[in-house]
Amino acid sequence: MSGTEAVPGFARQRWVGQPLKRVEDPNMITGAARYVGDLALPGTLEAAFLRSPFPHALIRGIDVDAARSMPGVVAVLTAADVADTVPLTDLVDLEGAAKTPRSALAAAKVRYAGEPVAMVVAADRYLAEDALELIEVDWEPLPAVASIAQAVADGAPLLHEGVEGNCYYRAATAGAAADAAFDEAAHVVRRRLHIGRVSSSAMEARGILAAVDPTSDELTCWISSQAPFQQRYLLSLALGLPENRIRVVAPAVGGAFGPKDFVFPEDVCVAVAALRLRRPVRWIEDRYENLVAAPQAKEQDVELELAADAEGRLLAARARFTGDTGAYSYSAPGGFIDFGLAAQSLPGPYAIGEYAADIAGVLTNKAPIAPYRGVGFTASQTVREILLDELAREIGIDRMELRRRNMIGDAPQTTATGMTYDGGSYGAALDRVLELIGYDAFLEAQERAREEGRLLGIGVTPFVEMTSMGTRSHLQSGIHIFSHDNARVSIDLSGKLTVAVGTCSHGQGHHTAFAQVAADAFGVDPADVSVIDGDTGRTPWGMGTFASRSAVFGTGTILKAAGLVRDKLLQVASLLLEAPVEALECADGFVGIRGVPEAKIPFADLAGAAHFDPGVREALGDPTLTAEAFFDTDPTFSNGAIAVTVEVDPQTGKVTIDRIVAVEDCGTMLNPALVDGQLRGGVAQGVGVALLEESVYGDDGQPLATTYLDYLLPRSSELPAIEVAHLETPSPHTPAGVKGMAEGASIGTPGAVINAVFDAIAPHGTAIERLPVTTAAVWEALQRAEVVA
Amino acid sequence: MTQVSMTVNGALCEVDVEDRRLLADVLREELGLTGTKLGCSHGVCGSCTVHVDGEPVRSCLRFAVQAEGCAIRTVEGLAGEDGELHPVQAAFWEAHGLQCGFCTPGFLMTAAKLAESGAPIDEDAARDLISGNICRCTGYSSIAQAVVAAARALQAADPAPAP
Amino acid sequence: MKPAPFTYERADSAADAAARLAEDGDAVAVLGGGQSLVPMMNLRLATPSRLLDITRAPDLARIERSNGHLEIGAAVRQAQAEDSPLVAGAVPLLHEALADVAHREIRNAGTIGGSVAHAEAAAEIPTVALTLDAEILARNARGTRTIAARDFFLSYLTTALEPDELLVGLRFPVAGPGSGGAFVELAARKGDYALVGVAAHVVLAGGRIERAALGYLGAGGTPLRAPAAEAALAGVTPTAEAFASAAAQAQDELSPPDDIHASSAYRRRVAGVLTRRALAVAVARARGEDPAKEEM
Repeated sequence: MSGTEAVPGFARQRWVGQPLKRVEDPNMITGAARYVGDLALPGTLEAAFLRSPFPHALIRGIDVDAARSMPGVVAVLTAADVADTVPLTDLVDLEGAAKTPRSALAAAKVRYAGEPVAMVVAADRYLAEDALELIEVDWEPLPAVASIAQAVADGAPLLHEGVEGNCYYRAATAGAAADAAFDEAAHVVRRRLHIGRVSSSAMEARGILAAVDPTSDELTCWISSQAPFQQRYLLSLALGLPENRIRVVAPAVGGAFGPKDFVFPEDVCVAVAALRLRRPVRWIEDRYENLVAAPQAKEQDVELELAADAEGRLLAARARFTGDTGAYSYSAPGGFIDFGLAAQSLPGPYAIGEYAADIAGVLTNKAPIAPYRGVGFTASQTVREILLDELAREIGIDRMELRRRNMIGDAPQTTATGMTYDGGSYGAALDRVLELIGYDAFLEAQERAREEGRLLGIGVTPFVEMTSMGTRSHLQSGIHIFSHDNARVSIDLSGKLTVAVGTCSHGQGHHTAFAQVAADAFGVDPADVSVIDGDTGRTPWGMGTFASRSAVFGTGTILKAAGLVRDKLLQVASLLLEAPVEALECADGFVGIRGVPEAKIPFADLAGAAHFDPGVREALGDPTLTAEAFFDTDPTFSNGAIAVTVEVDPQTGKVTIDRIVAVEDCGTMLNPALVDGQLRGGVAQGVGVALLEESVYGDDGQPLATTYLDYLLPRSSELPAIEVAHLETPSPHTPAGVKGMAEGASIGTPGAVINAVFDAIAPHGTAIERLPVTTAAVWEALQRAEVVA
Repeated sequence: MTQVSMTVNGALCEVDVEDRRLLADVLREELGLTGTKLGCSHGVCGSCTVHVDGEPVRSCLRFAVQAEGCAIRTVEGLAGEDGELHPVQAAFWEAHGLQCGFCTPGFLMTAAKLAESGAPIDEDAARDLISGNICRCTGYSSIAQAVVAAARALQAADPAPAP
Repeated sequence: MKPAPFTYERADSAADAAARLAEDGDAVAVLGGGQSLVPMMNLRLATPSRLLDITRAPDLARIERSNGHLEIGAAVRQAQAEDSPLVAGAVPLLHEALADVAHREIRNAGTIGGSVAHAEAAAEIPTVALTLDAEILARNARGTRTIAARDFFLSYLTTALEPDELLVGLRFPVAGPGSGGAFVELAARKGDYALVGVAAHVVLAGGRIERAALGYLGAGGTPLRAPAAEAALAGVTPTAEAFASAAAQAQDELSPPDDIHASSAYRRRVAGVLTRRALAVAVARARGEDPAKEEM
């Protein structure tokens, strides 16, 4: 943030905005960082789960006697052993949505291949897996449904009693105005696209270590987690234990991207075992489990139509979003996170006119859905951008010109879907990305290449990402989950700062960024600030880190608490320096009289006085230099644009990405290097969604992408150097004008990649109806017009 | 059970292990060197990469008993005795080449081999040479930059002696 | 994903390995680099009760050239073969194909013999062996035998090796003057198993193709040759039309699989495309040219 005005909340701005190296890195680069699998508690037992091989089946009986008596096995749990835990369910109060609770272990019925039915606890994982082979289950397979079409067909097998037609939620907005606009429109374009099912697949899969402290009887769970307080709450509900007997700690966490903010059946089982056995019990998910049984994401059918006038100005949009939620509408927001937010976010940076949307959530015999970076925003923004390109082609105008004609202005405004944007740089982001990618020069190069028989293409997608999901954001998106975040700031007797936040960094570098914020709040060096997060025993309550919220909630809570502490600090200094508070300033770890260099006292001395000086105590009343503050805010909306250029081999369909440029405006940046990292990571995941990744199921409900040979993550050889650039439009309603970011690139990149491919093979892209757009799919689309020699 | 004797980061280690115990698990548990990670256990992600007799290999695809008499180097063995960071570690830190850090030890071992080869590497070549390791966080650009910088730093100096 | 129990043994020579296999060949799995076997063991898709490590037997780890052949011991690491000037000079097609085998870290451990014995149809080394009419050298307690590559790959992951037989090496003909090869594959990502790939080898004489060999990976249950296409190339002038004609013929000789990554029809058609490209490069190399291979 440039300018000479002091940012409210900052003593001075020296650190916020700097690309400081991360304080997290030394541990990670030396192998000293401890993830759940690295923790060493004496006597730890390892758990393994028996999982259903069938997508849909009844359990007629289960015999664990042989497993129980195997040497090295300490316990085997079945549904009977966890019968008094409370089933897990989503937290959303969505009117008309059926609940689909799931037990910690399946008792009578399994609903997806991979659903856990028993847990072995043994001396090590090798032995635990040996014991799994000794468990006998009497299965009665049932017919399964593996797609939306199968699930809603007449006579389809029902997954959950009472959920008719396997549809657990349906809603529609009134369509009369939109219909009228369509009747009048000069141009209508429509598209069906199936967004493929993907796996967030963090490099560290799921894991939990649970242990009961023998002296305090407290249950501590170290979890590879994004949201320790939410998990403590959910475990408390599931186990029937009061929260003050549970502590959840997130050690180093190896990536999360969305699904690690909830509690899994496996977590409940491990906790039960730890409580019963009074020994530490750990479950480390392996990659096979992770690809088959861990939550998956994004799958939905999208049907979208856009109506425009003769000049391409949008008059209306009609949409249908149907989510394939898997076997349980699970995780905090349930399956709504995909199809619901897709409908909400359709407008993006455009004025779309009238809007009508049908949304529905359908259950299938596949792994349950959970949030994954970009959630449902990806689906609607991808299809919208594809249709905008098509509309431009139909009208015969430049694709970017069409976007400009429909782009909203930068001022704060409310969209057709009730999202209140807080201002942005929609046109400027588009201009910048076109400048960096060299749009006009590329079009010329594309022409020349076509003459040589080479297929080049460019796709450019402006995007808006909703960030900082506080209470009002949730309400705006129709998810009735309230949020609650606090931070605690304190100054100790050595004059150093401790900041304890309720967010939960898992790769984002919060310990660095929040130290920068606190350092500027007090005019100290970030090295003098210690940041603590991810531990219900050491921080105040917070929702955790997900949905691009931490920059805003971290900064907001920290600055509020810091303000309270700084006020107290200045009062102490005022007493000792005998000067009014207005004449004082914080700089370099001292509080001094402005303009009088000799008149200053170091923080350590001020802390000492605050703690122990009777005169100070009497004058102040409450002399503590610790404060906790709550913060909630309106949503913030970052924006940007992604540009991708590709070459398509006309004979094989192989897509080679030549360049990617990502422009992001996330308001005031705490640390631009961290922002760059998030952008690039999001781009890579977007490329995966577009071209490579799919959690494939057979028609019979069997998972087919069960190892990394079949679930294809982008490697460095598939990606060019990812170029990034920034704009900064501070939010008018957050401290320091910070906005959240990190999902924008995941939201915008798939559309840019696909539009580039479609541009290269135009007009044959219309033949493609599903993601990912594989090499074979491109080739098949080209076959339709015999482009292949 | 089999007795296995190997050198790990320069120190002689003797363990008594089941034949089926993976080298990765023995490093992590019997020897307490938890820096090496298991990301997939089928050799694809590269998080488990260590050096065996100077060559980067997947420790999830090797049994500890196979390492009899071998010299193993893990991420814990990159820094100097006094804690001085290996150029590849310093380069990753400088370039923001990590976020969650889980894949990082595997990348560092792959990158250390590349950088210690003494040959200059440009970013395109780096992107190719690290393509056997998967990262879910960074998008690889900063990792490729780190490898280039590390190679440059080591070009003038002698490569680190093989363990 | 932890393997089932087994006992581990080490062979110190080919003869020692053969003797151990003679005890109980069905229960023993031969361990080379383990890059194909150990993933299967970790997934418990393979549960041998005995594992026989052959990588410490010096007589299985040699690369030797003699009498117009290059012999590569079964335990030679793929990386060692990749870096070997002997291999690059004598069997350039193998040298080229090795760059596409997974990634260097896998090649540091995986062995030449292990790849051929595993006989994955979408793998590079078995296809090169088949294309160049290599010989597989096998040994059991009773003696040795030589198996022609075209008799070696029987069906999916199944070879002509008896349970008590060890693959001890491969013998490749040394590429002569006037010959050229090209290895071209299409994979979803660099280093993956090929969706489909071609190994082409031609010998030119008097400006014409004296003989051609076309081997395919990812085109059937085993690596395949295309004998009718090869026959059609014998004696012809190497032109784009000739390549296209051979490609069309070869497509009919293949039976590619359908799977989640690609359809049989796609693999078949792309095999044709890659055939044309591989032949063009192979012929150019046979003429002593150094053509840029198109990005696959």
